[in-house]
Amino acid sequence: MRIAVCVKSVVTKEPKNVKGSRVPRNPEDCVLNPFDRPALSLALSLAGEEGEVIALSMGPPAAREALYEALAAGAHRGVLLSDPALAGADTLATSRALAAALQKLGLLNLVMFGARSSDSDTGHVGPQTAELLDLPLASWSLEAAPEEGGAFLAVVREADGFREALSLPLPAVLTVHHQARPPEDTGLAGIQEAFTQKTVETWTLADLPLDPALVGEPGSPTTVLSMTRAEKSRKCEFLEGDPQAQAVELTQRLKDKGLL
Amino acid sequence: MDVFATEKNRAVRRSVREFCDRHIVPVAAAVDREARFPWEVVEKMGAMGYFGIQALPELSGAGMDTVNYAIVIEEISRACGGLGLCVTVHNSVALYPILAFGTDEQKERLIPDLALGRKIGAFCLTEPNAGSDASAIEATAIPDRDHYLVNANKVFVTNGGVADVCLIFARTDPAAGRRGISVVIAERGTPGFAVGDLEDLSGMRANPVSSIRLTDCRVPKTNLLGREGQGLIIGLNALDTGRIGIASQAVGIAQAALDEATRYAKERRQFGQPIGRHQAVGAMIADMATWVDAARLLVFRAAACRDAGRPFTRESAMAKLYASEAACRVTDLAVQIHGGYGFSRAYAVERFHRDARVTRIYEGTSEIHRMVISRSVLED
Repeated sequence: MRIAVCVKSVVTKEPKNVKGSRVPRNPEDCVLNPFDRPALSLALSLAGEEGEVIALSMGPPAAREALYEALAAGAHRGVLLSDPALAGADTLATSRALAAALQKLGLLNLVMFGARSSDSDTGHVGPQTAELLDLPLASWSLEAAPEEGGAFLAVVREADGFREALSLPLPAVLTVHHQARPPEDTGLAGIQEAFTQKTVETWTLADLPLDPALVGEPGSPTTVLSMTRAEKSRKCEFLEGDPQAQAVELTQRLKDKGLL
Repeated sequence: MDVFATEKNRAVRRSVREFCDRHIVPVAAAVDREARFPWEVVEKMGAMGYFGIQALPELSGAGMDTVNYAIVIEEISRACGGLGLCVTVHNSVALYPILAFGTDEQKERLIPDLALGRKIGAFCLTEPNAGSDASAIEATAIPDRDHYLVNANKVFVTNGGVADVCLIFARTDPAAGRRGISVVIAERGTPGFAVGDLEDLSGMRANPVSSIRLTDCRVPKTNLLGREGQGLIIGLNALDTGRIGIASQAVGIAQAALDEATRYAKERRQFGQPIGRHQAVGAMIADMATWVDAARLLVFRAAACRDAGRPFTRESAMAKLYASEAACRVTDLAVQIHGGYGFSRAYAVERFHRDARVTRIYEGTSEIHRMVISRSVLED
């Protein structure tokens, strides 16, 4: 199978001096979105020995490093979509750019995304890209296996405590549940191979048939006005009585809150 | 911010840190307390390539350069000094000399298992009467047809309790003085090869440091490393590289202590504010951060010199001297910032403080390094 996995370079430190939607990037504080890793791992197992897995990302130059992480984990090729004209994009403008890049990559059996990102967590980009490409979508996928000679994909997805079995005609788009695959360690040999035998190509807006008015900040219908740390109020309460009474009280309270 | 780091350097640091946070940090306090070599973690480290960092890929190594080697050692040591010690000694003074001085047959026979961590290496130079003065060793390896008859009493052998492949420094020609010292590779299981009791050390307790005694042990001549009489050259060459590893280890321990002290200085409140806001504590944090950065930069310079094929004896000695002394100062202040809690085994800085101390002693004491550096400067 030929699979593209769309990945994101996320920031690991609380951003400072944020103006609007643009978060300054320091390469030391950026990593491959941890929720993209199960998607990459699932893609590598679906692609098999003969297949090809292409990691695609849109972001500033610092996002190259997330693509190298994907190459070190086993992806065969990395493509970074990077252009000042793409900066400040909301999720729709991002999806438009990714959809154009995916079309440029040519025939793909599958496009995969992590179901969420660790830094903004909208979950929009995968479904929006599927819509723009007019491809069927399975979100929050836990398992996937080709069927009927590779014309269809059997998918198990999980949401709200239920599991759903689906069959999708290929090509299709999957967003992958973060528990689809256990965390994997990347060895030194993979890193060495990524930096000596593989490359990250950089594409600019000029490489894509896109109207500049539909991407970047101008193409973004939403605008982030501010970002502040969410204040969480916590209350600590001590239960009284003997241990059994405390246990009864605790279970009752959890039941009242719908947690048991 | 490290402006000299490349994308690859950052990729290596991220991956090793993630591995360590997942597999080593959770057991580090326990393996120190129990003085236990965690084989279950070591096997995983082998699969990651940490035991063959600079070995060639065709010999199952990762093929990395020295700067990346230093980063790997720093990150492992940040999580656990004893495992950092295991990896640096294995790579730089056991595997590397075989790579640099071994025959093709020795490399093909020994390196792949070492590089994958299936076999652990050790460097056996120190004896009861020979430490800083390496030429005073008494071990002998007397040629006897196609074997050497080896008799040696080696002490404070890092990895000794688990080592499979030991580089033994011994006199093949007792009459030839310094030029009669050679290196023979003795393998565990050879009759006459015995591992002594593990040392009950104050720090680096995850490492099975032990004595190794060879009694009439017959080592085949095919296990001579380099030429007869080349022992001290091999040893000094290995130690030049090894010092970069020990310096990296010291940086890792110091960084761990700085991280813990910074966290504590933000959380702990006295006189109505976090203690880090008090000028005296803030000054300690400032000194610690400066020393850690300076030490790391010296390590990277030494490593970059080695990668560039330039002389690096002085640079590696400076890095080792400065980083080890800095690690002791930094871990001491980390304990101070923690107050009474820093003296408790419940807090990690207590372990870092114990682990840091020996970095000023092994692979050349600070005093020996000052000799090396001063000679080099005065001869310029």
